[in-house]
Amino acid sequence: MTEIKNAHFTTLQGAYDTELMEATLRIRRWDPDTQRARFDTFTVTVPVTASVLDALDAIKDTRDGTLAYRKSCRMAVCGSCGMRIDGGAALACKTPMKKFVDAGHTITVSPMGNLPVIKDLVVDMAPFWEKIRAVKPYLDTKDEEVPDTEWRVSPEHHEMIHKESLCILCGCCVSECNSMESDPDFLGPAALAKAYRFVGDARDTDTRERLRDLNGAHGIWDCTRCYFCNQRCPKGVDPRDAIAKLGAESFKEGFVRDEGARHAKVFVDSTYKGGYLRETELVPKTIGPVNAVKDIPFALQLARAGKVPNPLSPHKAKDNDEVKRLWKLLEKEAKGAERPRAMHPDAVREG
Amino acid sequence: MQERYAYYPGCLASLSQKELDSSTRAIAQKLDIELVEMPSVTCCGAGDIHEAKPDYYLHISARILGQAEQMGCETILTICNVCTLNLRQANKALQEDAALLNRINDNLKEVGAATYQGGVDIRHLLWEVSEGNGYEAFKGIAVKSLEGLKVAPFYGCQILRPSKILGFENPDAPQSLERLISACGAEPIDYPAKVKCCGFPIVLAREDVALGELVQPLEQAVEAGADVIVTPCPLCHLSLDAWQRKAADYAGKEFGIPILHLAQLLGAAAGIEESELKFKRHVTRLSPEVKAKLQVPSVIGTEA
Repeated sequence: MTEIKNAHFTTLQGAYDTELMEATLRIRRWDPDTQRARFDTFTVTVPVTASVLDALDAIKDTRDGTLAYRKSCRMAVCGSCGMRIDGGAALACKTPMKKFVDAGHTITVSPMGNLPVIKDLVVDMAPFWEKIRAVKPYLDTKDEEVPDTEWRVSPEHHEMIHKESLCILCGCCVSECNSMESDPDFLGPAALAKAYRFVGDARDTDTRERLRDLNGAHGIWDCTRCYFCNQRCPKGVDPRDAIAKLGAESFKEGFVRDEGARHAKVFVDSTYKGGYLRETELVPKTIGPVNAVKDIPFALQLARAGKVPNPLSPHKAKDNDEVKRLWKLLEKEAKGAERPRAMHPDAVREG
Repeated sequence: MQERYAYYPGCLASLSQKELDSSTRAIAQKLDIELVEMPSVTCCGAGDIHEAKPDYYLHISARILGQAEQMGCETILTICNVCTLNLRQANKALQEDAALLNRINDNLKEVGAATYQGGVDIRHLLWEVSEGNGYEAFKGIAVKSLEGLKVAPFYGCQILRPSKILGFENPDAPQSLERLISACGAEPIDYPAKVKCCGFPIVLAREDVALGELVQPLEQAVEAGADVIVTPCPLCHLSLDAWQRKAADYAGKEFGIPILHLAQLLGAAAGIEESELKFKRHVTRLSPEVKAKLQVPSVIGTEA
């Protein structure tokens, strides 16, 4: 009978057939009973192939059974073991220990950010799930009858939401979201990537309602483009890019009233009209003339330092008519385009 | 570092942040770099056009890149994080998708604009002078030691992340600004928020959210004892400098920390005059002590 091998069990037995190494980890502990944080440092013997998760398992099995962390699949699929490794959120199971050992570096392991800590490395994911639920993370085909057979999506249509479909809901993108640190109610990168996964789905018919909801307070225009989410995502979802796609879909559907959308429109119009950004139009057109008037004392501070360009003679690039023609050409092209739609199976059957 | 670049200062350095443009030109002259003007370019879109009209964004980017190509320049020199990311992001998309590039070139041809063959690279000034021959060349012109000046580097986001598009250095532990601060004879100050966001992209649309972000680097740099903050991005500069008053009101405390453009710090060490560096164009003024430190005329050691 094959013996069931457990990494540290066999490590303890000295029965591992692979080379071993000594790994040192500094771990942030949080005791919910005393409400106190402390750092513990452990050195454990692990195989050279060990991940950070394997090292944590070795610590829990051989050094301190009270160490709390989440894990399940150990292969970067379940999304349970998100934690900060040297301050950056990552999956412990997907992070090899060897590079740190080779560098003689003691890693610091701490819980993910932007979520309350329950114990040690375990965070409360409730606010995370609440936001995922808020974007209606399921297909809505409204009046369309639920078909008896599969509702097929062409490879081309799937490609549009492929990256967003890869999300494993681990929370690494949320951990370092700079906007969320400042506005905890911001829907954030995970929920917005999920939102695009359905906005971009060629079967979903709830597009306009979804986009309307995403264009309000704490929605897509809260994103400060810090790109931590793209940097941290262990699956290549690139949530910031998904947020940009939601912006583009909002423009297509005419949702252009949010201050964020109005801000974006000034950039588009500036290139079309002259080349460079018309900075003096940015403030009144984004926040409205009334709020702009309230901001006059601030504008005067900037003007005193010479930071307000003359609005009467805006920048005009050479040959900018090319851009104007380009804009018209693309708008004409876009007008004819229809929203991608996967045919209902019944319609396919009926030919 | 190369001898010749297509120079893309971008909107801010051309309009409200002119001190960055004049400092950069002065530094380039000292380094003997030729900056070739690009008179027909538009804004890079700053992420806003990418978000609103992605196809148009790719077209205007291809037009900018195509102009550099037609000028016979292999590399566009940028002095703004946002220009760097937006042009590099578009460049990557165009270089990796021949069908896309073909379609865009057909459209560019139709409107009489320069087409793009895919052969241009985009590099930020920071990257060009913080390593290799550019770094050696800078050390050669850094004749004035800024000894005693404590400088907090603020990288901003879009020169670090996403690293698959930028990729110059480790986005979590960058060292290029520190290297240059040391080369100026000044002392780099470390603080965690140096790689975080200044809030600028949403400072108009979501002022409170942005100020909550902006407070972090200001607070931490001051607490760490910095005399000034230096940044490679004119948007971060505008946020840290011009919005500092609002951040102070938001946080209920004074910061009073002057913000330098990277080219101004380098310029001060290279002995460039105030008439080019234009510190007076800052909203948060230099204190007399900092001014004195930036103008100390002692010579750096013999290593250069």
